[in-house]
Amino acid sequence: MIEAYLMHLAILIFIYLLLAISLQISMGFTGLFNLGHIAFYCIGAYVSALLALNGFPFWLSFISAGISALVFGFFIALPTNKLKDDYLALATLAFTFVIYAIALNWTSLTRGPLGLPGIPRPSLFGISFSSNLSFLFLTAFVTLASLFIIKRIVDSPFGKVLEAIRDDETAARVLGKNVFKMKSYALAISAFFAGIAGSLYAYYITFIDPSSFTLLQLIPVLTIVIIGGLASLKGTIIATILIVLLPEPLRFIGFPSSIVGPMRQIIYALILLLILIYKPKGFYGKVELG
Amino acid sequence: MLKIKNLKKYFGGVKAVDGCSFEVKKNTITALIGPNGAGKSTVFNLISGILKADDGKIVFNGREITNEKPEKISSLGISRLFQQTRLFNNLTVKENLNLALEQEDTKFWKNFFGKVKLNRGKEKKIDEILKLVNMEKFKNRLARELSYGQKRLVEIARAILKPHKLLMLDEPVAGVNPKLRKEIAKILKKLNKEGDTILLIEHDMNFTLKIADEVIVMDNGKVIAKGKPKEIKNNPKVIEAYLGETKK
Amino acid sequence: MIAMQLLINSLIAGAIYALVASGFSLIYSTTKIIHFAHGAIIAISAYFLYFLYSILGLNFGFAVILTIIFSAIAGYFSDFLIYKPLRKRKASSIMLLIASVALLILIESIILILFGADVKTIGFIKIAKGIEIFSAIITPLQIFIIVSSIALLLFLFIFMKKTKIGKAMRAVADNKEIAEVVGISSEKIFAYAFIIGSFIAGIASILVGLEQNIEPMMGTNLMIKGFTGAIIGGIGNVPGAILGSFLLGFAENFGIWFLPSGYKDAIAFIILLIFLLFKPEEILGIKKESKK
Repeated sequence: MIEAYLMHLAILIFIYLLLAISLQISMGFTGLFNLGHIAFYCIGAYVSALLALNGFPFWLSFISAGISALVFGFFIALPTNKLKDDYLALATLAFTFVIYAIALNWTSLTRGPLGLPGIPRPSLFGISFSSNLSFLFLTAFVTLASLFIIKRIVDSPFGKVLEAIRDDETAARVLGKNVFKMKSYALAISAFFAGIAGSLYAYYITFIDPSSFTLLQLIPVLTIVIIGGLASLKGTIIATILIVLLPEPLRFIGFPSSIVGPMRQIIYALILLLILIYKPKGFYGKVELG
Repeated sequence: MLKIKNLKKYFGGVKAVDGCSFEVKKNTITALIGPNGAGKSTVFNLISGILKADDGKIVFNGREITNEKPEKISSLGISRLFQQTRLFNNLTVKENLNLALEQEDTKFWKNFFGKVKLNRGKEKKIDEILKLVNMEKFKNRLARELSYGQKRLVEIARAILKPHKLLMLDEPVAGVNPKLRKEIAKILKKLNKEGDTILLIEHDMNFTLKIADEVIVMDNGKVIAKGKPKEIKNNPKVIEAYLGETKK
Repeated sequence: MIAMQLLINSLIAGAIYALVASGFSLIYSTTKIIHFAHGAIIAISAYFLYFLYSILGLNFGFAVILTIIFSAIAGYFSDFLIYKPLRKRKASSIMLLIASVALLILIESIILILFGADVKTIGFIKIAKGIEIFSAIITPLQIFIIVSSIALLLFLFIFMKKTKIGKAMRAVADNKEIAEVVGISSEKIFAYAFIIGSFIAGIASILVGLEQNIEPMMGTNLMIKGFTGAIIGGIGNVPGAILGSFLLGFAENFGIWFLPSGYKDAIAFIILLIFLLFKPEEILGIKKESKK
């Protein structure tokens, strides 16, 4: 029993880590306050779920999730290009609401609030990942591979341009960098990884509905990114483990699960507020927000 | 090399640049001077493409660049120093300079597959320029850890390092100590001898009149005088413009 | 006539959003803080009324007064405990925005724990008997809501133009630094903005609580609508927020004539997105001017 529980936590840690490091690309490295990150997660999850339920193989549904999210990432880059900080945040937040509303109302596709149940566990190269242990290996592999890829990107000169854009967009343009293209890439790459995180989530829980993709889900991810520190991959890893594990003791104190959920949110919201007031750079952050 | 024809920029009712025309000849050091609020930095911003002109033309090496995007203008060979420091604060000095050198860093796939490397050629250029401004020790320091004067030097280095045909410097020695000013004057003269064309805005008259080949004076958004430093020094219109400012 | 009913529904919805948007806008125009938690203040005040009236059984009028006071205090403390410390350390506007979202979630989660997720009713008005106007139905409460929001518009207009505090608030809204130079304490004015804005939130919470049933997420929903109304009217423009809210009410109700009714909220989100993407000058324009 204990192993099943630990494996579950581990899987969650890997999925949240993937969500958090993908947000770091746009927010921490490029300085784009994309509060609409969960929308990409949602798109990835639904695309994967729909393809899986219609018999498409895992590898196709997984990649499609990433690519669909990526396309949306590119798509919102144009209208948000000139927006500054908090207006970008608000616009991307509004984007999350729109995606949520579509998921809720396009019932012929998504079954609305009823959600999509019965998503089969993935199978790849003939191996079926139906046991939680095997799924843990799959998730760990995907997340660690993504971490490797993202680290490669941010350490390269391309990554330095992203950081330059965060620090001073005009100076970057005057040095000849095509800032609009770079921002689009940042949002698209960020979206891609959020999309595949959504895919993993759908395959793991085997059921998705719009309520998993609201502002509430953004809070832990945002808290992780800020606590760990903007633009710090190392900090993100530590913060993810901390944030996922921190509210777990609540289960053992004997609170009913209807209370545990909101208590987790309270803990996250409080941590976020305290960090913003007292340690806005987080543990390993290079910069403060804005 | 650079021709400005009847340039105009209005901010609401304020005529920041009101029919400004001048020329920067190749291989000269040209100084753009004038009292505060004359519109000099605005002209720089118009040339760089950061602001859109309301009227007029800007021609660089025979090509019209009015209202083009900053990155395009930059790639045509204009390198620019700003009045306020615009270093990338959370990057190191070396990274700041490398961004000026790198031409391939916005290519995602090339970078991902590792074909863009800080090769020895680039490293050498960075070391050379740091030596020139006496900042080798700070190569791996974060830009935000530097003092104002040090930041200015790194920025000048960055502007020089960026491949260019025209170097535009907005107040390169403002707030910099006299000894350093002399150093920078030397550097600019050296660059000019090596073939660079420089356009600079500066309030320090000594600095300007010592190194400039040609001086253009602006007041109230217009050019009121042009000529060699000696002529400008004694030009009554120029004196009035500056005196008028102190009277205000 | 369907059109008449739609018109009436638009006015009711618009009035409710206006109640939310006006307090929010007042706070924004004075302090430049996007106080998303404003919706949560409304929610928790509605639950407070529920607690006093439906659980403790206090006299309704008395409960109403206590609720409005509670609201104003809650609003004051959100500034004092959260935004003020952030201001002191020169936090960026994005940090304030995230803090307000965190506060919204915090308060809503507290409501969830204290009262549970199910919908509750404040049973003061037993059965709403509708009055017929041109074959459309409207209840007395709904008429009261519409009248209140118009009265609010007038009250705010007079308050901002004629009273000392109102003028001081406009001065701070225009240019904080200069206002301080002439001796206005911006911290005091900020506190007033939150108190008055939250006082309006208190009124909103009572009317909304009576008209609609209360549920823990009502704060977020109302806030999004109110915020959209404020954006349509030009954020920071208080009378504009009220008019914008009515426009939103119209857009939603006439919109679902053509679309399935589930899309009502989606209409607001899409309008919000469009305004944020394509009319940021509205917002920037006001910011630019206040920098002169």
